[in-house]
Amino acid sequence: MTRQSPPGPRPARPGAVRRPGPADLGEAVARAAREGLLVVQPRMGMAGPDAMAAGLRAVCSLPHPTVGTLTLDSYTRVGDHGLARAALAAGEPLNGFPLVAHGPHTTARVAAAAGDRPVQVRHGSALPRDIFRTMVAAGLSASEGGPVSYCLPYGRTPLAESVANWRAATAEFAGLSAERGLRAHLETFGGCLLGQLCPPSLLVAVSLLEALFFVQQGVTSVSLSYAQQTDARQDVEALAALRMLADEWLPPGVDRHLVLYTYMGVFPGSPRGAQLLMDRSAELAVRGGARRLIVKTPAEAVRLPTVEENVAALRSAARAAGRRAVGDGRVPYVGEVDPGEVLAEARALVEATLELHADVGTALTRAFAAGLLDVPFCLHEDNRGLTQAAVDGEGRLRWTRTGRLPLPRRTVPHPAPVTAARLLQMLRYTADRHDLLALEAADDPDWAELSGPGPAVRPPEADPEPYRIAVVGTGPRGLSVLERLAARLAERPAPRPVEVCAIDAHEVGPGRVWRTGQPRWSMMNTVSGEVTIYSGPPDDGPARAGAGPSLYEWWRDADPEAAAPDECAPRAVYGQYLAHALDRIERTVPDGVLRLHRLRRTVRTLAPEGGRYLLTLDDGRRLRADRVVLTTGHPLPRLTPDQQELASFAERRPRLTYVRGDSAIDMPLDGIAPGSVVGVIGLGLSFYDVVAALTTGRGGRFVPDAGGALRYEASGREPLLVAGARSGVPLRARGRNQKGPQHVYRPRLFTRERVRALRRRGPLDFRADVLPWLLAEVELVHCATALQRAYGPDIAERFRQEAEEAVRKGTAGAGSSREGRGPQEAVFGAAVRCGLRGHGPVDLRRWAWPFGDRVFSGPQAYQEELAALLRQDVELAAEGNAEGPVKACLDTIRDVRGVLRTAVDFSGLAPRSHREDFLGDFVPMVSRLTTGPPLVRLRQLLALLDCGLLRVTGPDARFTADPASGRFQVHSPRVAGSRTELDVLVDARIPDPDLRRADGDLTARLRDQGLLTPYVNRGPDGGEFATGGVAVTGSPFHPVRADGRPEKGMYVLGIPSEFTRWFTQVGSGRPGVWGEFAADADAIAEDALHGAHDGTTATPLTGVLLGPRWHTALTAPDEETNP
Amino acid sequence: MRTVAQRDGGRRRVLLSTVSSDAHTWNLVFLRMLLEEMGHEVVGLGPCVPDRLLLDTVRRTRPDLLVISTVNGHGRLDGARVIRALRADPVARDVPAVIGGKLGIDGDEGAAAARALVEAGFDAVFTDTADTALIGRILGALPQRAPEGRAV
Ligand code: B12
Repeated sequence: MTRQSPPGPRPARPGAVRRPGPADLGEAVARAAREGLLVVQPRMGMAGPDAMAAGLRAVCSLPHPTVGTLTLDSYTRVGDHGLARAALAAGEPLNGFPLVAHGPHTTARVAAAAGDRPVQVRHGSALPRDIFRTMVAAGLSASEGGPVSYCLPYGRTPLAESVANWRAATAEFAGLSAERGLRAHLETFGGCLLGQLCPPSLLVAVSLLEALFFVQQGVTSVSLSYAQQTDARQDVEALAALRMLADEWLPPGVDRHLVLYTYMGVFPGSPRGAQLLMDRSAELAVRGGARRLIVKTPAEAVRLPTVEENVAALRSAARAAGRRAVGDGRVPYVGEVDPGEVLAEARALVEATLELHADVGTALTRAFAAGLLDVPFCLHEDNRGLTQAAVDGEGRLRWTRTGRLPLPRRTVPHPAPVTAARLLQMLRYTADRHDLLALEAADDPDWAELSGPGPAVRPPEADPEPYRIAVVGTGPRGLSVLERLAARLAERPAPRPVEVCAIDAHEVGPGRVWRTGQPRWSMMNTVSGEVTIYSGPPDDGPARAGAGPSLYEWWRDADPEAAAPDECAPRAVYGQYLAHALDRIERTVPDGVLRLHRLRRTVRTLAPEGGRYLLTLDDGRRLRADRVVLTTGHPLPRLTPDQQELASFAERRPRLTYVRGDSAIDMPLDGIAPGSVVGVIGLGLSFYDVVAALTTGRGGRFVPDAGGALRYEASGREPLLVAGARSGVPLRARGRNQKGPQHVYRPRLFTRERVRALRRRGPLDFRADVLPWLLAEVELVHCATALQRAYGPDIAERFRQEAEEAVRKGTAGAGSSREGRGPQEAVFGAAVRCGLRGHGPVDLRRWAWPFGDRVFSGPQAYQEELAALLRQDVELAAEGNAEGPVKACLDTIRDVRGVLRTAVDFSGLAPRSHREDFLGDFVPMVSRLTTGPPLVRLRQLLALLDCGLLRVTGPDARFTADPASGRFQVHSPRVAGSRTELDVLVDARIPDPDLRRADGDLTARLRDQGLLTPYVNRGPDGGEFATGGVAVTGSPFHPVRADGRPEKGMYVLGIPSEFTRWFTQVGSGRPGVWGEFAADADAIAEDALHGAHDGTTATPLTGVLLGPRWHTALTAPDEETNP
Repeated sequence: MRTVAQRDGGRRRVLLSTVSSDAHTWNLVFLRMLLEEMGHEVVGLGPCVPDRLLLDTVRRTRPDLLVISTVNGHGRLDGARVIRALRADPVARDVPAVIGGKLGIDGDEGAAAARALVEAGFDAVFTDTADTALIGRILGALPQRAPEGRAV
């Protein structure tokens, strides 16, 4: 059954192809090592010579040391050169470079593109003779493989035959190379084998044995491979063991180095997960003492990478290798580990094998026959298959069955049954782990995927009746759903035409809050580089659903003067961007696939009707839709009784004005007379907007003043502003942005796993179960940043490890962390031990309410202290959100919002704790500190305080209506003489959504029809917390009807569903990150499109294409029997 | 050579193979477990299965279903070639056959490759986005063979 290799090209004679060949691989690696540089190399192979040459050229013109690669295709590996030639002739793509089919001349020409860099041929053939001959004839003398590792994982050639072939071919290769004045170099593939689920000791042993085999055939320059596995520490141990054994067994004159492979098993599917794993492999290479690294790319899980992807991966590897000292501290240095276990096992395997015969090849054959070497899960006939391995609880690879392996006695196998599901879980362990790590780090939700498209099958249209989806309310959320609908349809058109009706009373696309006509003083609070509406980054193609520019990238083209990635754009600019995105989405999807209708209307009524929905619009038109997406944004509920009282007070008095809480651009502020006294309720983000409206919005401007401060030049049309809130202090600024859009924060203590584990026990008590871990994480960042600033990254890193250790110890014995701030204290203690001076522990409460219950002698005194505090905040913010300890640790709270959601959403907290601890206490506290505006807004506030146009009343400010004077009043009970009379009262707080108080609009009607219900958090003990948020199911977020059932044709996303979920006011995705924003929209798009694909001649089996024989049998509706 | 006794209700015999140039085996190991756990009998051929060997084994074992799994990117070429040969075989031509995995080398080629493979003669093509468990549904829906014992 083995294929005999056909007669190959004749052995090369010197002069077969005369060109100055590529450099010697061993030498190039040694040279780089002397300079302290890691050599990086791709796995790259294309069928065509030109493409291959272009790839080599790109790789070999990088500034850091690289080795060029020719990876051969699968036909050449099995000796089917005829098939390779046929595919080449037909222009069919191959998975590598068909070296033999191309022959030495073409190959030499291709290799010349590498210039003076070494070129290595990677092939995977058990019968390498033809390949070696062609290589040498082309002037190439570096390759890879081994009699075992290019046999067992690569096909069905009997092992003995592979050994015999390799023995002869290797000797010939060494000789032919020498004749041409070249030094043959061979790299073992034994450190990889099947790529995954093989304990490192066996990899180390085979890698070493293959090197010995090469040396026995006369090769004098070798590299010993090892592939990254599941656990970094274990990998460093393995590299240490491999190095020791190589020094022990290889003759001193043999040139050698260790080469690391970036993970060779199932790869993370998300680009970030992949990148994280790649970065870790570079770090592992450096710390483990490897001199060369063979990289992978983020495309690994899906397809062959492009040249660009390979080059990017090499660049990132070189960068990550250079960052060695800063690493995440998880990877120890080779000198820091005890290779004991791996070394002992590997040594035992090597010795037992070499005892079998003096010829290493024969010894290897016999060792496999006897089961002394036995690769887990290997199907090859000559592998005994008596061993098995698994990923243990700590992530290390362990033997679960040792078969006949001659392992030291202390290796105790732990047999465990393996099912298909468990196998897949173990195969996916590294992939899933890194996908999750990347997500968590990015404040993101449950899953990510480089979404592979389904088959684009469009059977003949039997039924031209379009399938209609109504999106009620546009703006970012509505648009995000639309974008995913279009992206999905572009990939996989539905069998019927799909229509989307985008309905918005204000402006279709931008919606109300982001409408394009709003004044320029209305600014965003997120920097433009971190904002996108597209679910994927732009590519070479046109901007379209699934791939488009971030706000910054678009802004830069639209207004290069104003655009800056670290600046906040005016809201109108975001609106223009959204409008542009809607145009792009519409224009790039064919009409037959998706047709968009823009309706600038209000939906009056909506009612189910015969499996569909009937909508009536404010112009009386009626519209039937199959699915309805409610993305209605900020609601305007009826006023609360307190608010109503203030409003009524003003109504009866013509001189007074009361402005209800809403977006500042929708407030009737124009009528406020210059010089009148305006009370502003609230010191949050809306307060900043109201201030802008009444200052710069009235023609004033801020001009630079001494020392980076600002001065306000009034227009004379401003009123006097008197603001107040419970805290008495405006929202603090966010730290100057020092994190790129790709920033990743991976929590160490407050992890999703921990929260999930906690949640499994039942509803959580926020204060006892969740907060301590969050605080510990915040403290960790606080102290690490401070320590790094004082002593550098090493100490910071040592501290992080000590802190984790301290927390582990502290919570292991004590049973649980309930009560108190155990883990935070442990973290802080560790910091002090590591030399932290001059910083107290993080105290969010004191930071949020800095004046405690102090009393002030008068408004002036208060005002001065407040200004000092804000100035200090400006300084802290200027230190940055990565380098300033305070703002960095506060930024962490944003970074772990996703983890918090895991704890809170869908009744994660016990009702009382949800209401009191979380929403009543924690959220207002951290909002003051973390959700603030950019720092320039604080500078502006200071200027306004300075010129007297703005006054802040003081803590516990109370706004009242005074019948005696007929005016509104504000005072702070803690600031003597603070009472001020007001002509106008502006409520600068965006109202919380409250379905119960919805009034006269569609939402109210849907509530009355029982289609929407307010969300109630019900505890198992009967406790209840009734909220005003709309109750929704988990993804895809169907509303929960009054009868408790989901309304499956409808979806509710965004702010109306606040309380069921937390922090829904997010108005954009992050570029390059498949985050919660996109994932939520996508889940709805997917579900909403089901109906369009159902009940047609297309297969109901997603992703499966059926042939004619099975069409009728298998496309009947879903109730198929399962065996 | 062995004799297979009467086949019970939903139990089917599956011939599990890959294509001639594909060495990947984790997919095969996984699929075997999956199919066996569903209660089917699996005959496996291992990696890099030459066309001839595959055809001979189909003739010999007369499976209820031939399952080809391939991920190396040559599936659309090798798969099409081998299924044409099978459909031209006077004895084995009617055997139901499915193929799945990563069929082309550029990821999003799945759909085009799938269509080509259906045209070449496969009864179902699983692109990489398909839910692997659907294979169970297909097996369940296959026409029941006459439950007589049969020497093979
Ligand atoms: C491990 C691995 C190897 C090992 C294989 C060892 C072995 N004997 O199995 C080694 C290192 C030897 C190897 C070699 C090669 N590999 Co490889 N390999 C992988 C890797 C990293 C993991 C594959 C794996 O173990 N999957 C686990 C199994 C359980 O899942 P699966 O195979 O994906 O199958 C799933 C589904 O597809 C589905 N499925 C599969 N078949 C079928 C069939 C049916 C009917 C159904 C219903 C479902 C189904 O079920 C599975 C579970 O969900 C993948 C990339 C990745 N996924 O991360 C590349 C990958 C498959 N390899 C690839 C290539 C090209 C090769 C090489 C040809 C060259 C090279 N670039 O290295 C060589 C030579 C192999 C040859 N001659 O064919 C490419 C294929 C490119 C493509 N199709 O576009 C990949 C995708 C990597 C890449 N991006 O370049 N590889």
